[in-house]
Amino acid sequence: MLPTDILLIHASMIACTPRVTDSANIGTRLLIDARSGMLAVKELLGSKLKFGLIALAIGLVVSLTLLMAAMSEGLLTGMTGAKGSLAGDALVFQGDTYPILERSVLSAEDLQRIASAEGVANSYGIGHVIVSVNSTDEPFDARVFGLGDRFDQLPLVEGDLVSGPGQAVIDVTAKVTGVGIGDTLGLTPIDEELDVVGITEDRQYVMTPAVYVDLPTWERLYLVTALGRMQDAEGHGAPEPELLARQVSGSASIAAVELEEGFTLERLASELGSDFVVVTPEEAALAGNGMPEMVVAIGGIQVVSLAIGALIVGVFSYITTLHKTGQIAAIKALGASNGYVYRQLLVQITLLVPVASAFGLAMTLGASLSMPPTMGLEPQPERWAITLVLVYIMAYLGSLFSLRSILAIDPATALDRAEH
Amino acid sequence: MSLLEVRNVSKSYGSGHASVTALSDVSFVLDEGRLLAVLGPSGSGKTTLLSIIAGLLRPTSGQIIIDGKPIHLRSNREAAAFRRSRVGLVFQDHHLVHYLTAKENLLLVPHLSGRIQHQHRELASSLLGEFGLEARANHTPSMLSGGERQRVAIARALMNEPRIMLVDEPTSNLDTERGRQVVEMLSRHISGREMTCVMVTHDPRMAEAADEALHLIDGRVHSADAEGVLASAP
Repeated sequence: MLPTDILLIHASMIACTPRVTDSANIGTRLLIDARSGMLAVKELLGSKLKFGLIALAIGLVVSLTLLMAAMSEGLLTGMTGAKGSLAGDALVFQGDTYPILERSVLSAEDLQRIASAEGVANSYGIGHVIVSVNSTDEPFDARVFGLGDRFDQLPLVEGDLVSGPGQAVIDVTAKVTGVGIGDTLGLTPIDEELDVVGITEDRQYVMTPAVYVDLPTWERLYLVTALGRMQDAEGHGAPEPELLARQVSGSASIAAVELEEGFTLERLASELGSDFVVVTPEEAALAGNGMPEMVVAIGGIQVVSLAIGALIVGVFSYITTLHKTGQIAAIKALGASNGYVYRQLLVQITLLVPVASAFGLAMTLGASLSMPPTMGLEPQPERWAITLVLVYIMAYLGSLFSLRSILAIDPATALDRAEH
Repeated sequence: MSLLEVRNVSKSYGSGHASVTALSDVSFVLDEGRLLAVLGPSGSGKTTLLSIIAGLLRPTSGQIIIDGKPIHLRSNREAAAFRRSRVGLVFQDHHLVHYLTAKENLLLVPHLSGRIQHQHRELASSLLGEFGLEARANHTPSMLSGGERQRVAIARALMNEPRIMLVDEPTSNLDTERGRQVVEMLSRHISGREMTCVMVTHDPRMAEAADEALHLIDGRVHSADAEGVLASAP
């Protein structure tokens, strides 16, 4: 039995299904045309080495593209996961400090003003401070986030949520340094300690693990850190600790806001005035820390890798077409149309790309499994599916390289040559 | 009954001073069941004539009439459809598809016209048997000798039961004996059937098996070796 028979059965099955639209049927026939299948499949089977190498080359590009997608996701999560995932319709920053979270400070009065603003259903303060942890095998920097009573927004991997002062939930990436449930984190140079009660995930900020504590604990850490920053080596220059403590009391770095239904960010921004900046968590995540440039760079690399994929498919199909110019001329002389010859190429691409994608997927999974969690590789099935669809589209676009050469093949050349 | 009429066909390439004439005012008539050998040295216009009859090239002037219908005015698409249904083509270097078996190469012809049906498989087996290739049906061209490849190519040209066969230098890659066998086989097959054949060859010995012969020199008919070829030409 010829392969075409299998494809004929397939085509007849399509013919038996209810007709959706003529254009859908035309599209299906274009890709799964039984008449195109015979030569395409036979050629694939007859030249396994050649097409295997082509599939491998496309697979490498698929792998590169998938890795780039996973790495970009991992990078975005590593840079902004803790910030972008904060629960709320909007984040409110101190005016003139946006988008730098580290510089924003909202006093207790500011937080009260935000909470009582028109259109605000709920709000809570979020504190932020940078600390160093040196009680582990490998000292590391961490970003401490003080949350009001909104720990329910953290996805727990292990342990429990924070239930009192001095307790912490820490991002899973800190585990590579040896941190686990029940450990005490020693913070330097402020001589403070935190007890780890839970592990969360996808909560990093600027590639360091986030540590979640309650607001009183954050206040204490912030105060000690601020005092340490302000005094010189001899201990001069710091304000009175009691005065600073009074200033810090009840404050936060930013506020998260849940809006009443139908109320917009623009209206809230207008309501609060120029003392504050109101943005969505997603906008805040993608602003500052070089994120706009990073997003453009990552997007550019992904587009370039897809373009390289299209180029590879295009060049391979073009070379293959040139290689069999005589055969194509003969088939055209026997009565085959340009469309028939091109469909044959499309059928080959339709069959090759899944094989190449399987290669690429296997290579990517292998690479992602061999990398440490700190590498920031985050496979996302939906993004991978989109990437594979784009690879298909790029492959078909690449085949257009060949279409021109197929159209240019003169069937008369099959009769040796025109004598002139 | 005349099946093929070539009326005052000329073909030039280029224009003005750069114009080259490949064929000049060629006319002949060919009846059913006849094999015409077109002879001539290299560059005499033999293949151009064949290409024009096949609808692969358009004549600069003149007419090609097959079965009483002009085919020289057809579009490329119509000419391709005409070749699929009415013309059998045999190329000088056979042009068999290298990854298909001998039988699959034959089935390529009905495949191009639509579905391969049971009668096509039977016809392919029958033709392979007729040309002494039944044992080679599942062999790819690389496993066949030169003579066998050429016989497969002829059998393929017969798969659409053509009205006209156009054969280009079928023996150029064969020794004299094998070449003669191929041409005699072709001649036997055509004889008494409702088809005709134009065979281009540069070898006068191969023309001996033909019913008629036409000599081309510099694109012009130099002589005809059988009565009737030119006599009834318009």
